[in-house]
Parts: sequence; structure tokens; C-alpha cells
Amino acid sequence: MFRRRRSAQDFAEEIKAHLELEADDLESEGLSADEARWRARREFGNIRAAQERFYMKGRWAWLDKMWRDLRFGFRSLRQSPGFAATAILTLALGIGANTAVFSVMNAVLLKSLPVADPDRVVYLRTTNPPHGTGTVNSTETISYPVYDALRQQVRGLSPVMAYVPLSGSKVAVRIGAQPEEAEGDMVSGTFFSGLGVNLPRGRGFTEQDETNHAPIAVISYNYWTRRFARDPAVLGRTLYVNSLPMTIVGVSAEGFEGVEDGGSTDFWIPLQNRPELNAWGAPPEDGKTYIANPTWWCLRMIGRLAPGVTRAQAIAQLQPVFQTAAYVGLGSPPKNTKPPVLSFVDAKGFAGNDDVYGKPLRMLMAMVGLVLLIALMNVVMLLLARNATRQREFSLRQALGAGRGELLRQLLTESLILVAAGGALAWGFAVMATRLLGRWAQIESSLAPDKTVLLFTLAVLVCAALLFGVAPLRIALAGRAELALKTSAATSNADAGKSLTGRIIVALQMALCVVLLVGGGLLIRTLRNLENTPLGMNVDGLVVFGVKPNIPSIPEGVAFYVNLMNNLRVLPGVESVTVMEERIGSWWSDNSDMMVDGRLPDVASGASRTVRSNIAGPDFFRTLGVPILAGRDFADSDTASSPHVGIINEEFAKRFLPNQNPLGHTTGLDNGQYTMTIVGVVKNHKYRSIDEEPIPMAWYMYAQIPMVGPMHVEMRVHGEPLAILPAARKVVQQLDPNLPLIRPMTQRAQYDLTISHQTLFARLAGFFGVLAVVLVATGLYGTLAYRVNMRTAEIGVRMAVGAGRGQVVWMILKDSLLLTVAGVMMGVPLAMLVGRALASSLYGVKPLDAASYLLAVVGVAVVALAASALPAGRAASIDPMKALRTE
Amino acid sequence: MATQEINDDRIALLQGTLDLLILKTLVLGPCHGQGVARLIQRQSEDVFLVDHGSLYVALQRLEDKEWIRAKWGVSDNNRKARFYSLTPRGREQLVEKTSEWRRLTRAMGLILDTGVEPQGEEA
Repeated sequence: MFRRRRSAQDFAEEIKAHLELEADDLESEGLSADEARWRARREFGNIRAAQERFYMKGRWAWLDKMWRDLRFGFRSLRQSPGFAATAILTLALGIGANTAVFSVMNAVLLKSLPVADPDRVVYLRTTNPPHGTGTVNSTETISYPVYDALRQQVRGLSPVMAYVPLSGSKVAVRIGAQPEEAEGDMVSGTFFSGLGVNLPRGRGFTEQDETNHAPIAVISYNYWTRRFARDPAVLGRTLYVNSLPMTIVGVSAEGFEGVEDGGSTDFWIPLQNRPELNAWGAPPEDGKTYIANPTWWCLRMIGRLAPGVTRAQAIAQLQPVFQTAAYVGLGSPPKNTKPPVLSFVDAKGFAGNDDVYGKPLRMLMAMVGLVLLIALMNVVMLLLARNATRQREFSLRQALGAGRGELLRQLLTESLILVAAGGALAWGFAVMATRLLGRWAQIESSLAPDKTVLLFTLAVLVCAALLFGVAPLRIALAGRAELALKTSAATSNADAGKSLTGRIIVALQMALCVVLLVGGGLLIRTLRNLENTPLGMNVDGLVVFGVKPNIPSIPEGVAFYVNLMNNLRVLPGVESVTVMEERIGSWWSDNSDMMVDGRLPDVASGASRTVRSNIAGPDFFRTLGVPILAGRDFADSDTASSPHVGIINEEFAKRFLPNQNPLGHTTGLDNGQYTMTIVGVVKNHKYRSIDEEPIPMAWYMYAQIPMVGPMHVEMRVHGEPLAILPAARKVVQQLDPNLPLIRPMTQRAQYDLTISHQTLFARLAGFFGVLAVVLVATGLYGTLAYRVNMRTAEIGVRMAVGAGRGQVVWMILKDSLLLTVAGVMMGVPLAMLVGRALASSLYGVKPLDAASYLLAVVGVAVVALAASALPAGRAASIDPMKALRTE
Repeated sequence: MATQEINDDRIALLQGTLDLLILKTLVLGPCHGQGVARLIQRQSEDVFLVDHGSLYVALQRLEDKEWIRAKWGVSDNNRKARFYSLTPRGREQLVEKTSEWRRLTRAMGLILDTGVEPQGEEA
């Protein structure tokens, strides 16, 4: 269709044939051979003209024209390599940053779950769980009996699927001889079929498997690749989970790594009932696993809407069932309590991602949007500057007959070259950046740019190309043909040097720069504050790891830990050792109301009675370095047979036992269990995370409560904390060769993890702030330098008639100072808006933090002055004679 | 540079008439470009001057429209030549264009034949 069937050569040959035929005819009419040839040629007329007409009609002509434009564009860009390099790099940085952040946003927020028909899939959410119920997450989890009731209701959701991790983090597995860790979930038998996840190898689970608690496992594609090198013989192999053998029966589809984000699930097993495989790896409570425990809301739920059922209908179906099931085994609900309510959340993206990453990511997207705006403005300014100096070239070309269309085409081609080069580079940057980001943010799901991202980037590129082509056209056309005849630089360039558009753009850029710097500054100060927040303990020298021993009975469990601690204490370099049920600084906490002296304490109306509790071993506070304000620490002498003792923090004492000596009072669970006598009060310190506020806390002694499960071991050592780990591992494996050390790390690193999002966010924001400054600086320098260049002749004249160097420098500086003032005036109010939007992400710094604003303003001013000083200096050193002779 | 001499007896072809003439010529059978030019010139009793360059561009245009098709062949006197022939679509076009032309000339005639005939040379 687009290709002419005939080549120009074929056409030429036809003409040649014509000339011969004509000559033959003429010869036969009596002319001599020579004369015949001559006449034939003459009669034909202009052969070249005919060929040209043939050629111009050809469908390839436009392509050839474009090729010529491209070559011309390359040539003219090569003549100013500095300009080309700056423009391309600026574009690459601006667009690359956007592509990278967008691609993270796409992967984390916008991408659907990799399941069939994700629009029909919903997460189940609850509010107001019954009194006395423990939840893993107050809105996301329900109990097994409730799940069992819901899944009978097939007309609403079909099916309802439960899934629950085997551990809060990773679970001990073994494939060969060495113990290792992996992330595993227990799931309903309908999990794979209900979600519509393919299993290209092997099979998924059936409802039968769930009922029988079948010892089988499906592994993720990722785990199969990482751990088994995609060995096709993996089916049928045995995966020991907490020492229990599971046969691998399937490999899930590539890209499916569970329905919760943040981590990636390595394997799934059907819901189990063995105590070793309790939900979340928790020890059974009074011998009951999650299946038999109606007050432990621990299962996460996801469901698929039954065919032809709307959400509202499904909720209406399930709500009464849910509300009844919630109280099964708990008696009738007390009066004046709000009934539990079931609701659905879109499963289009990963649930929870939006809470964690949504706001920072949108903020970052806005920031890189501003960076892009600055970058685009920069390039536009560069183009304006460059094309203004080419005005005479354009005028000349117009005078020689080039149409506006041709000028536009040429400008568009040049911008196309710039944008294409910048875009290609940007894509490279983005791929690199997302890889780095993924590693940094510890997001295990793939962040790499995909088709959606490519479309986004292409859209940005097209806009940029059009903008760059059209913006300079005005200038190009403004120089009409007659301008070419005005040869004086002083006159023909004077207007361009003072272009209003240019001034507005520079001021705007500085405004945006102020905004970015303020935003970045606020976040970096937040990070500083977080990093410097006193934890209330001495974390240096602390190392922590988890162990998950096989515990047949409580005395044996206690004995295991006593042994372990004793063996660890004697290792060289170890100062003290203790254990705790929940690792501090890992976001985990056990929250409940607690009795004080046998009744729920009175609190001011509206105040919370919630207490965070943890279970700790001997020397707990001495090991952590938390000051004991009154009483004593836990000791080895606190055993199951000695009086049960507990320790509270300042906040507990202040809130529930005000103005009295807390020692000797008792506290315990609100159901009357686990009552203990307070023997110590410790200073408030950080428990879950760095940015938490003080909250009442209580500690049980591990050896005194009827529950022993996996624990975390905390060791205070001399020297490098991690250096003790090999020795510690040896000690653990002497007790049980199957036990890996679970997530060993320094306590400092553990706390840092709790601010990893803030850290990442602040660093990125800071980085983009700096990037904006660099872009603005180059843009400013480019524009100012160019303006001074434009005014070379004018400056020469001024100096020739007696202007001093100082006056010339001031003339140039005044100009950029004015622009800076204008930019700052615009930027500060904008920055205040941004600061307010950021408020919830800040810690220990106000949205109107004066220092951040001052720094931003000073930063922009310094950049502006520095960028003007050089051109100003150059202007002042102009030799008037030379300047006038540049004509 | 040689300038083209204009023979006063000849008339430069009107825009658009060349296509019709080409189609008409090819009704007689396949023919090469030079033959088409000669035929037109001869059949118009040397009144029409066919600009050869325009002829070939017109042939190409008709070929692109698929009214005619072309094939390299050998002429009567053993010269290589590109032979053109009518396509069915070309035939339809010929009929249509011919009747169009007839209507046009009739209308022109009607106007030019009424009133006083101008004496002397053509305007």
C-alpha cells in the first residue's frame, strides 16, 4: 500500500525506451540517425522534470523527506553538542524519575491481583469484634468458626477463602539437610480454584485436602526459581515445615505470590490442625489451635462474588450469618455493644498497600511531576534560546522560500531527536532505579516497568515532543523574511534576549524549586528526628534472633529456654542474654485491656485502657539497658512455682495507679487469667516502632505463664554484635539440629526497619529536591548565559560609552535577583500548601518549619546568583572593541 | 538551453483531457507510451501536442489508480518497451469520461453557436 510498485529507475528506463522508439520512428520518416535522436530528445522536453514529477508523486517521498529532515536535525544538533547533551540529559532525568516512580506506583497501587477476573474478588473486613476477642489485625481477621459459617453461604460469596501465615515473618523449613526459612500460608481448599490462579505444573488444593488437612504444598513460581532452579522434578519432593513433611504437588503461575503484598509467599499448604502449624506460628492457647478458638480472630479472608450477585446483595446475604457466628461460643452479646459489621474491600490492588505506600507514593509522584515540569521548562528555554540565536537562519530560509510548514517540520524533527534520545536514556534510568528501589524498600514483588508504564512514558514523550516543536516555532516565525537583511546582532537579537516568556519560565522554575526543596527539607528533618529519637534503651551492642523449638510440653519448653540462655551466657564476649515472645521494634504487639487489683481501672472518659503486653525472660531490662525506676528486673529465680511477678512501665503506673507506689499491686488479663504482682517499674521506652507514643505496658515472666512457644533471643555482647551469631547458631543447633536462627540482626537494624518507609520516602524526596536544584541551576545558567551572549553588542556599546564593570555586573545580577524574588514569592505559598499536605508524614517537625523554608529560599537564591555570576563576570570582561566588531 | 518551439497549428492539451485520450487510445489494444503519443498526435491530425514528460506522469497516475496496467515487452521493431493496457475499471472510466466530455462539448457548442460568430483568428 505504501510502497510504489515502480522504482524511479524503471521509470527512467521507460523514458529511455521512449527516446529510442521515437528515434526509430523519426529515422524511418527519413531523418538521419543523429538528427532523429536529437529530435526525439527535444520533443520529449525536460526529462529531469518528468522524473522529478514521477518521484514527487511517489509514496516514498515523504519518508525520504523525513530522512532528510532527520539528517538535517542531527547535523544542526551536532553543531551545538553542549545544548544537545544538556537537553537530552535533562529530559532523561526528568522523564526517568517519573517513569521509575510511576512504575513503582503501578506495581504497588494500580496493578490488579494476578487472579482471574479480579473485579469480582473482594477482601473481607470487619469492625467491632466481640468483647474479649483477640485479633491479629483489628479489621482484617476473623475466627475459624466465623469462616466456617461464612463459607456455607454460597449464594453471596462463592467461594469464601481463608488464608493465614504460618508465622509473623518466616517459618522454619527444610528441604535438604540444612534448616532454612521461607514464607508460607495455610489456605482454604478452594484458594487456587476460587481465585482462578493457574497451576502450570502439578495441581492445586481441593476441599477434600482442607477437610483432611492433607500434608501437601504448592510452591510459588518465584520460590521454585530461587530455591529449586526450576527443577521440573520438584513435584513429589518433600518440604519439611516446622519439621512436618509436606509433599510438593504443584507450582503456581508465574507472578502469583499471594494476595497480600509486602512479602511474597513461597509456599501454601491446606489449613492444618496440628499445634506445630498453628496460625501465625503462635503457641496453642490452652492447647487449642486456631480451629478450636472462637476468640482468636486470626484468619484473613478473601472471596469471589457469586455469579450474578452484586456486592450489596452479597453483604446482605452474609451480614446476619456473620453477626450470629461472631458470638458463637461466647454467649449472647452484652447490651450496648455495637454489633460486628462485615464489609468488602476491592481486591483490585493489594489490600493494605494503599495505607502503607499510597500517600508517600502519590506525594513522590507529585514531586517527580514537578521535577518533570522543571525539566521540560528547561529544555523549552534552551530551545527558545537556541532558536532565538538561529532567528537569522530561519529568516534566511524563509526568504529563500521555505514555507512555515517546512520550518515546523524541521523544528519538530529536532525535538523528536532530542525526545527520542532522552526517552531511551530515561527508560534505562527507570529500569535501574526501580531495581534499586525494590531492594531498598524491601518490596519483593517486581517493580520493573511493564506495558502500562511504557504507555505512560510514551505519552509523556509525545507531549514533550509536541511542546518542544511548537514552542520555538513562534520565535522562528516571528523573524520574518526581511529580518534576514538586518545583519546587526545588536538589533536582530535584542528582543530575544528579553523574552517575557523566558522570564516567566525562570521565575516559575524557581518557585517549583522552592516547593521541592521545602518538601524535601521537611521530610529529611523528619528522618533526622526519627533517627535521633531516643529509644529509651541502649541498642548498641544488642543482637536479636528468633528460635522456634519443638515444644511437647510447657516444662520442657521452659527448660529449653533455660538451657539455651545458660549456654549462650557462657560464650566469650556475651554480657547478658534474655528472651521475649514478641521481638521489640518489629511492629508486633499484644494489646488488651488489663485488670488492676482485680478490676478494670478507672480512666478519664475517652482515655484508652489498652495495655501492650509482652512476655519476657530474666535480665530483660538489664539486657536492653532500660532503666528500672523502682523495684527489680525479672530473675532466674522467678519460676513457675514462685509467686507470679510482673513489671510495668511509667505510663502504666501514671495512668492506672496514679499517685501511689505501684509495687505490690496486681494486674492481669481482663478475663481474670495470668494475674501477677507488680515487682518493678521501668522507664518508658520504644516497643513496637521508633515513632510510637508512650503507651501503658506490662511484662509477664515467660516461665510463669502456661504458654511457651517460639521466642526471640536478645543478647548484649561486647564488640561487633553480629560476630556472635556463628557461635550462637552452634549453641542452638547443639540443642536441636533442626533449628535455624530466624531473622538474626542487630536490634538497631530491627528498629530502623520500622522507619524504613519514612527513610526511603525522605531520601527519595531529598534526592528529587537536589535533582530539581541541579536542573534549575543548569537551566538558569543556560538562560542567563545566553541572554548575556545576546547582549554582547549592547554591553559593548554601554562600556564604550563609559559604563564601568561594576555597572555591567549589577545590570546582569539585578535581572536574576528580580526573577529570584518573583520565584520565591510564588514558591513559598505553594510550599506551605505542600507542607500542609505532608503534615501526616512528618515527625517532630511542623509543616511551617521556618528553617526548612529559609534553607530552601537561600538555596534557590544561591543557585540563582551562582548561575548569574559567571555570565555576569564574562559580560564585564568584554572588550568593547571586540564586542562591537562581532558584527 | 534549447527552448521548445511551439508549432502554431498545435494546441496544448487541456487539463484532464490527456487521461481520456490515453484511455481511448488503449481501447484499440496494448500499446507503449511512445505509441500512445504518436497515436494521439496522428488521430488528432497533428492538432494536439502531447508533452511526452506529462504523458508518462499521466500514465503512471492512471496505473496507480488501476485504470490501466503495464508490462515490459518487446515492440514491433524489437525494442524493449513498457506496454499499457486497459483494466475493466479503466473501461468503465472511459465510458463515463467520454459521455462527460460529450456533454461538455455539446454545452460549449450550444453557447458558442448562438449569436454572431466571431470573424478572424481565434481568441
